[in-house]
Amino acid sequence: MSILVVDNLSKQYSKNLQALKQLSFSLEQGESLGVVGESGSGKSTLARILIGLESYQEGAITFQESPIAPKKRAPLRAYRKNVQMIFQDAASALNPKLPIWKSLLEPLKNYSEFTPSFIEVDGLSDKDIAEKLLGLVGLDSNLADRYPGELSGGQKQRVNIARAISLEPSLLICDEPTASLDVTVQVQILTLLKELQQQLNITILFISHDIRAVTFLCERIIVLKEGSMVDQFELDDLYKSRRNSYTKALLDAASL
Amino acid sequence: MSNSLLTVNNLTIESRSGEPLLKGINMEIGRGEMAALIGESGSGKSLTARAILGILPDEMKVNGQILYKGRDLLKLSENEHRLLLGKEIGIIFQDYRGSFTPYIKIGQQMIETIRTHQRISKKAAKEAALLVLRETGLESERVYNSYPFQLSGGQVQRAAISMTLALRPNMLICDEVTTALDLMNGEKVLKYIDKARRETDCAVMMITHDLAQAYKWSDRMHVMYQGAIVEDGPTEQIRFHHQHPYTRKLCSSLLSLPKERKASSAEGVYSI
Repeated sequence: MSILVVDNLSKQYSKNLQALKQLSFSLEQGESLGVVGESGSGKSTLARILIGLESYQEGAITFQESPIAPKKRAPLRAYRKNVQMIFQDAASALNPKLPIWKSLLEPLKNYSEFTPSFIEVDGLSDKDIAEKLLGLVGLDSNLADRYPGELSGGQKQRVNIARAISLEPSLLICDEPTASLDVTVQVQILTLLKELQQQLNITILFISHDIRAVTFLCERIIVLKEGSMVDQFELDDLYKSRRNSYTKALLDAASL
Repeated sequence: MSNSLLTVNNLTIESRSGEPLLKGINMEIGRGEMAALIGESGSGKSLTARAILGILPDEMKVNGQILYKGRDLLKLSENEHRLLLGKEIGIIFQDYRGSFTPYIKIGQQMIETIRTHQRISKKAAKEAALLVLRETGLESERVYNSYPFQLSGGQVQRAAISMTLALRPNMLICDEVTTALDLMNGEKVLKYIDKARRETDCAVMMITHDLAQAYKWSDRMHVMYQGAIVEDGPTEQIRFHHQHPYTRKLCSSLLSLPKERKASSAEGVYSI
């Protein structure tokens, strides 16, 4: 079953800047789809539209069979519980003045009617829940009382991932989640995402310019260029001769 | 190394509070060699480059030797050092937007730079500037007459490189020059640097955290970790026969493309 269907989506920022041009694709439950492209290809615009941070002019987005309105401030409460996002800049995604445990619990406080399955018993304190979340992403529970400034970039990104999965979303959108991290840390974060996806059966939309990272995590890939989708294929077909010339050029630039 | 251009002997740097930042670096770069300095943030890569360029903050304590063509750079006066920079040792930074003044056209700035180091007429400098811009694969006339903001990031970075290379330096320090660029623009930039060093025998010190890039372009790799070089050697050796645990960790963190996965399992078979 398709969890997300994007049909003919177009986004125009100004007269001369069309960020997305008639983009259509769908996302199956439990799969991980990679979106590859250079800067300016519309990758981040797509992510921001899907999470409801940007409006769009044309086309339709359907999530779990209900339409998502094109307006920015549309009523998205239920939708946002099910669609969470991880941004590139791990530091600015956390409030520097809140200890980690408070930042971690914000989504659960906003959706207090929801009890995630990792809370198996009643009567857990907020701290206990935060520590459980830290455990899910491989962080030590003593980080709960620290502030973002005391954590490394990789640790901060793990906190962001923990917070994103706390509502047990069906779809996780990752916009260049490893681009500002050291290579050794990048692998750890990607491995974590892969494990979480398998454990929790989350669908992942993984946006990156790093074709190596995309082939590590994703089974299916779409290629954006200047706002248009120029190619779409299963990972196994990456080297097929019918690949678009732009895909080939990207692959060639990344190859050793 | 008989054709050694730069030799760093036991270079140490301490912060004002006495904290060791570089712990006895030894390094040799030959003429025309592409040497990669690789390591994670905070490992001391850029600090090493800054020591060579003589642009460290005054309060840092520097010891050891940096021999460039046999002269110890650490013993030069400020003025002697200044004359060396640009003309002998060129530098390209990660942040290409800082390479040009925003409100002066690229061509104007190139002429100024060239004429600071070479006693030639404006006309000759213009020709030299247009030539190097053309060599970088840019539309030379257009770039020459543009302000930096009228060009893409990749174009500005290539213009910055061509300005540096117009002075025909013997050594080029590239500090994360492709980090702010797209993959494809980054490749273009590296291709050009590689071509230039083959043609002019200019040595390149490539500072990067990108392992794939180091594998692809460098002759030799120096792996830095916490202020020390933990391993160095020809790129092939570091890639396939590394010894140090940190190098092993670093090399194993390069995600492979599907084709390389098959290739590396084949390599595994051969090595048994």
